[in-house]
Amino acid sequence: MKRENEFAVGLVVIAALALIVGGALWLSGAHLGRTEAVYTARFRTVGGLGAGSPVVLRGVRVGRIEAIRLAPGNWVEADLKMYSGVTPPAKPAVIAASASLFGEWAATLISSEPPPADPNIRQALEEAQAVGGGKWPGATLPDIGQLTAQASRIATDIGTVAARVQSAFDSQAVMDLRRSIHDFGQVADRLARVTNEQADVIGDVGSNLQHGSDALARAATDLKATLGRVDTATNQGQLATILNNTAATSTDLRSASQDFRQLMAAANRNQESLVRVLQNADTIFSRISNRSGTLGLLVADSALYRETTLTMIQLRQLLSDIQANPRKYFTFSVF
Amino acid sequence: MIQAIGRRSISGIEAVGRFGHFLMDLGRALSDVGVWAQLLIGQMRRIGVDSLPVALFIAAFTGVVLALQASYTFTGAVPLYFVGTLVGKTMMLELGPVLTGLALAGRVGASMAAELGTMKVTEQVDALETLAYDPQSYLVVPRVLAATLMFPVIVSFAIATGIITGWLTSLALLDLSTPDFIKGLKLFYLFKDVWFGLLKSASFGFTIALVGCIVGLATRGGAEGVGRSTTRAVVFSAIFILVLDAFWAVVLL
Repeated sequence: MKRENEFAVGLVVIAALALIVGGALWLSGAHLGRTEAVYTARFRTVGGLGAGSPVVLRGVRVGRIEAIRLAPGNWVEADLKMYSGVTPPAKPAVIAASASLFGEWAATLISSEPPPADPNIRQALEEAQAVGGGKWPGATLPDIGQLTAQASRIATDIGTVAARVQSAFDSQAVMDLRRSIHDFGQVADRLARVTNEQADVIGDVGSNLQHGSDALARAATDLKATLGRVDTATNQGQLATILNNTAATSTDLRSASQDFRQLMAAANRNQESLVRVLQNADTIFSRISNRSGTLGLLVADSALYRETTLTMIQLRQLLSDIQANPRKYFTFSVF
Repeated sequence: MIQAIGRRSISGIEAVGRFGHFLMDLGRALSDVGVWAQLLIGQMRRIGVDSLPVALFIAAFTGVVLALQASYTFTGAVPLYFVGTLVGKTMMLELGPVLTGLALAGRVGASMAAELGTMKVTEQVDALETLAYDPQSYLVVPRVLAATLMFPVIVSFAIATGIITGWLTSLALLDLSTPDFIKGLKLFYLFKDVWFGLLKSASFGFTIALVGCIVGLATRGGAEGVGRSTTRAVVFSAIFILVLDAFWAVVLL
């Protein structure tokens, strides 16, 4: 019984030890029996990198982070344990970056020749390299959390803008906007028509301008010829004659102007007489209109008018009769 | 009421004193290697090897449930290979040691309390003392040492069993490939996870055995007292396991 106990217990313990050791080695990815090289990288911050994080070269896992510690000068040093047979790149540098959206970080080995395109990474690597000490320079990319936080802020802003647009564009606003678009379309049509018409007008104007330009050119030519003639006339003394004639004409014109002024003064005087005549006439016409005076009575009274007419007829008959029979009315004797 | 509080306070302080006295006796008995060494293997067999089926049964179904619940939680949001991460981490850090400890508190702690309580009420412990055997080195040390040594062994098997059943469940029910499961398992693995779980399980084994022995040797009142001691041993062991679990989490994580 005692030996049986010892065997069972021994078997279980050995199996458990094998399980623990084997499992731990398998899970940690340790490579027994092979020499592993340890290098140290220097970072300002290691982000989410931790002991056990993978070290990656061109996408292939080639080691793990063995330890991380704070170092003087506000640096952080990380020990990278590399599998045997792995050759680091020339002038190696280490980039700590998030490997996935779920908090996995990895240290990626790169060559610092040529330097990375990202200016921040390049500056961080140069700063770490400047310290020296045979440690690899390291830089850390922004955490996924920082990127997602930034994206979240952007999304929030977009959401706010969308909410404002949504509140501003209710059904009435949409109808107004549709109406505005329709009106704008009509305006655009009209503008197109006007533009076409104005294009024609502008074409005509252009054509007229061209004609005008041609006429101006001709006028310039004529002016040039005239100036030539003037120049010729000046040379022969004709211009002096013209100027003398012009002076005489100007004297005559001044005299005529004086006569005209006198004439206008006389006209003003006659105008006053005329005004008085017109006033008298107006008085006469007023009296006629008011049926006062002889003419007024004559105009207003039809019986008088008829009597006057009859009298005139009888007077004309009397004159005729006197012309026909003078002896009847006049007695002519010499002696 | 004040008297009752005072009595309970004094009783509690006396219990702490008895516990300290018990630990001192235990420490002194460790030097009596010739007595407890020949009993150790037998206790290791009883406490460890014979408890394996219960522990593995519990761990197997724990792994299945963990994988299914993880896939249920991760659907649509988190990659499914995190099932391996969750199963591995949870089994190593928490459920492996704690569930095994609770299960063995019922099996081992109750067994010790009942066995030692029966020996106490039937005056077999007094007979040992009469025969010049130290009950501590003859009864307590082999049990406490066996439990302390064998609990990590049992828990390591339980962890492995839980991970294996979680992997099989992922293959059979979750459409998760073996490389993906292993990728998740290795993703956040730290060696600390292993020794943290084993250290916890060793402390659980020590506590369960110690509580079983203390309660068993303090048994009074015949068969009824034995039953009461058995119950108390299980309850106290479970409480101490949970308190220790929180303690180690605070101290070591």
